[in-house]
Amino acid sequence: MNLENRKYVIIAFILFIASVYAFRLFYMQVIDDTWVLRAQEIAEKRKEVVPPRGIILDRNGKKVVSNKTYYNLMMVEEKFGRLDTIAFAKLINWSPLEVRKRFEEIKEKEGYYVNKRTNKKTSNYQKSRAYPFLKELSLDEITKIALKLDEFPGFYEEVASMRNYPFSNSANILGYLNEATREEIDLDRYYKPGSNLGRSGIERYYEKELRGRKGIKYVVTSATNNALESYANGKYDTTAQQGQSLTLGLDVLLQEYGEKLMQNKRGCIVAIEPSTGEILCLVSSPSYDPNLLVGRKSISLNYPQLLKMEGLPLFPRPLQSEYPPGSIFKLVQSLIGLQEGVIQNNSSFVCNKGLVGCHNHPTAQSVSEAVQYSCNPYFYAVTKKIIQQQKSKNINADAEIGLNLWHKYMASFGLGIKLGTDISGEKPGLIPNSIYYDKWYGKNNWSFSTISSNSIGQGEVKLTPLQMANIAVIIANKGWYYAPHFVKSIGGKGPHKKFTVKNITMVEQKNFDPVVEGMRRVVNEAGGTGKLARLADIVVCGKTGTVQNPHGEDHSCFIAFAPMINPKICVAVFVENAGAGGTWAAPIASLIIEKYLKQTVNPEREKSILEKHINYVKGP
Amino acid sequence: MRKSNSLLAHVDWPLLASFFVLLFFGIATVYSVSFSEEHPNVFSLSEKYGKQMIWLGISLFLGLIIFLIDASIYVKYALLFYSATVVMLIVVLFMPPINGARAWIGIGSMGIQPAEFAKISTSLLLAKYISELIIKQQTIKTVLYAVGILFIPSILVAAQPDAGTLIVFSSFLFVLYREGLTFDPIILRLLNLFRGLKFKSTWIGSHFIPVLFVFLLLFAVTLKLNDSLFELWFFPNIKINGVLFIVLILATLSILSIVFFRVFSTKRDRPKILLVIILGFLILSSLVFLVNTSFNHLAKHQKNRIELVLGMKEDPNGNDYNRNRAMAAVGSGGLTGKGYKKASVSSVRSNHVPESETDFIFCPFAEEWGFGGSIVLILVYLFMVLRILFIAERQRSVFIRVYAYCVAMILFYHFAINIGMNIGLAPVIGIPLPFFSYGGSSVISFSIMIFLLLKLDSNRMDVLR
Repeated sequence: MNLENRKYVIIAFILFIASVYAFRLFYMQVIDDTWVLRAQEIAEKRKEVVPPRGIILDRNGKKVVSNKTYYNLMMVEEKFGRLDTIAFAKLINWSPLEVRKRFEEIKEKEGYYVNKRTNKKTSNYQKSRAYPFLKELSLDEITKIALKLDEFPGFYEEVASMRNYPFSNSANILGYLNEATREEIDLDRYYKPGSNLGRSGIERYYEKELRGRKGIKYVVTSATNNALESYANGKYDTTAQQGQSLTLGLDVLLQEYGEKLMQNKRGCIVAIEPSTGEILCLVSSPSYDPNLLVGRKSISLNYPQLLKMEGLPLFPRPLQSEYPPGSIFKLVQSLIGLQEGVIQNNSSFVCNKGLVGCHNHPTAQSVSEAVQYSCNPYFYAVTKKIIQQQKSKNINADAEIGLNLWHKYMASFGLGIKLGTDISGEKPGLIPNSIYYDKWYGKNNWSFSTISSNSIGQGEVKLTPLQMANIAVIIANKGWYYAPHFVKSIGGKGPHKKFTVKNITMVEQKNFDPVVEGMRRVVNEAGGTGKLARLADIVVCGKTGTVQNPHGEDHSCFIAFAPMINPKICVAVFVENAGAGGTWAAPIASLIIEKYLKQTVNPEREKSILEKHINYVKGP
Repeated sequence: MRKSNSLLAHVDWPLLASFFVLLFFGIATVYSVSFSEEHPNVFSLSEKYGKQMIWLGISLFLGLIIFLIDASIYVKYALLFYSATVVMLIVVLFMPPINGARAWIGIGSMGIQPAEFAKISTSLLLAKYISELIIKQQTIKTVLYAVGILFIPSILVAAQPDAGTLIVFSSFLFVLYREGLTFDPIILRLLNLFRGLKFKSTWIGSHFIPVLFVFLLLFAVTLKLNDSLFELWFFPNIKINGVLFIVLILATLSILSIVFFRVFSTKRDRPKILLVIILGFLILSSLVFLVNTSFNHLAKHQKNRIELVLGMKEDPNGNDYNRNRAMAAVGSGGLTGKGYKKASVSSVRSNHVPESETDFIFCPFAEEWGFGGSIVLILVYLFMVLRILFIAERQRSVFIRVYAYCVAMILFYHFAINIGMNIGLAPVIGIPLPFFSYGGSSVISFSIMIFLLLKLDSNRMDVLR
């Protein structure tokens, strides 16, 4: 076999392929026009259509966030040709100087980087990119300009929608939008200069769902009249899809009422529906009108002021303030004690004021009574029994074991950890464990007596108001909760999967009964500390808390749920520097409950709350 | 061994020249397609062309080193090098996947792709193995060992998964063909298992490249007719699908050839011929079915790509997006192109052709230089491949000839598939265009291949092996 001749087979094959390619190229590039035409249309005239953002509704279908249409005048410098600045300025009613300044301003905004070789500051601005020259024009304004836009190549109109808040409340929940930063644009190609995205709250957490999907239009310059027409009858266009609408668990009228009740005070109201974990209202006071932060102009005007305003309205207290819970913490202690078996329903402890201070009240001879009277020494004793279970002969080692067990219980109640709600920035609160105290006092250098303030909700423990409301939820449900969340349904398909997971606490259902009874007595029996929360026709269960404050007046705190059988609403109210829990937080809570369950309230009770004005010392 | 006096004495200048021409046009195209106004300098390290310049520099530097090393070293350590790359190919499978494939060892732009080096090491080992054979005395083991040398890296590459490189490995079959490795012993053994067949020799196993072409044609037709229905004119109501139709045609041909041979052959041979024809029919039919079934079991995106190339499907804005836009870019170049840096469809800026600095780098070139430029580029590549074949044939040493054929076929595969992909004649497989596509691994490995060849060739006057 003559192998050398085989090279001809191979060479022939190679030449064959090469000629097929050559012919194909000839056909594609020289003979066939389809590709040239296709390239022209594809390359030059592709417009993106930005859809309106998804709207946000409250639980009753009322629009809480909607869209209003505005128009932008966009510019692409590369396409200017020779721009007649004077004529253009005349069209938009500016002076030529202002026009030039605006060009400069746009370049500035894009930022700079330093060219390493020449050490010169070079702009990120690119002539080929589109930037908004004028933003947020009304329909009339843009119509006047659009008529003459033919004369100014490189300028075109773009429809934009901006947020509108019909109810002017819920600012901390809803969040606001502003322009995407350079980094965000580089990270996600969906965004172009001038794109708005959610910066805080729901708008930010659900940004991907709310922004929808952009559409693409292919347009062609028609031969006859220079206007832009749809290419191939829109055959290749894709339609823009509006963002999915979100339904919140929020009851906007309840929210409105809550904000009204909290005016002139600092603090929060958090209300949750126990059967679903949906947040019915979340009031942070002081707050602000969300319409103030819509659009570039308003934001640059209002944001700096809001940032510095007394009381810090931008700070979302219910999620980020970590307060000592005070007496409401005793509820959790009871539950842990019952579950651990270190106390029974009818355990009795003398009110020994030598251990810890307390007000005057009858001796608590059961858990329910202890809750009703809010007896401090009782809970000192209960917590001691939990923490020092004598599992070790050494008192310090024993405390370590006890505290860590206690910590595990707390974590199962969602305390000391983030609850994972659907707004970012939530704080976890603080529930100390043995490692924490080891750092402070030295390893095994502490025992219950060192940390006893925690038993009554003072000391090192800290909770957020959201966690406080969640405690009410757990008790209302007798042992479980869904992570509290704002969004009830995304696009009609239900909430995010993680909010359908039941979190079961470490305390069995039967152990909740005495605590619930105690809470009922707090509000409805003599000697109860929460009388002012009583309602004539609804059985409210609650617990007061008076939180000591080294900087000033005590804080007033109250958590509750109602009605006792088949509870529909759980509330936590926290009013800073207002004094005793029973005096201010309790009546506010009951007004909220009444408003939610009955839609109307007793005007007399309401009056004093509305008129209360607390004088706040300078500083938080 | 007589050593040449000067290192540069017998360097093949035409090959070296075509290398530099391609390199130059390559970097010019990368520069134009990803041009950025703020970094106009071709050495800007933040831009792709700056990085490419670095890799070009590294390639030339490595090329120099290759030249300084004695040529016999490459022969001596071929097996070691091969084993090292096989180890790397195994190690890479334990690396975290990037874009769905485990192809890199190291961090992102500071890493290496073992597959690229495997191509070189396999070429060297194959060359060494074949150079130690006596072609006229082949056994079954001969070709099995050769296939084994190819099989090990191929299967490791397929595990990454990297379909493109796997296909490139099939280019080595051409080398086996040229060197006369034959599958005949295997085929003979299999055929003679049947009673009544006692062939002494056959030509199918040694002319396996043309035979493979026939098979490939058959398979292409099978796939194309995969979904079609046919009506037989004499059974008007029965519809049969494409596969059965082909089998039917094969059956008809078989019957006709049986009749033919009946007339023209001796009585003694008839049973043998009958058996062979029937065997042939059965094998071809089962292959046809096999191809059909495995095609339907391919991953969706691979299936799509083949369907699009064979013209069975159209989907210009969905699955066919890349191909459609690429062809628009190429086609819009016209006769003379739009001019340098004016590729409006395929530039990175306008973003219509994805991967236009890597897999689709031909598009901006074709768009800028039109038909004229495209033909010139094809001619340069053609020249390079043919020159390498010419170099191969003038070798006294089998080792160098085999290595040269490997390089030529690998280069040919890359340029054929990549350009074919850009003009819609080949399915979209991610393999780079040599010396053009942006990417360090590819430039460096192709340069190493060429410089190795130049070095070995420059020593052709010495008698190696």
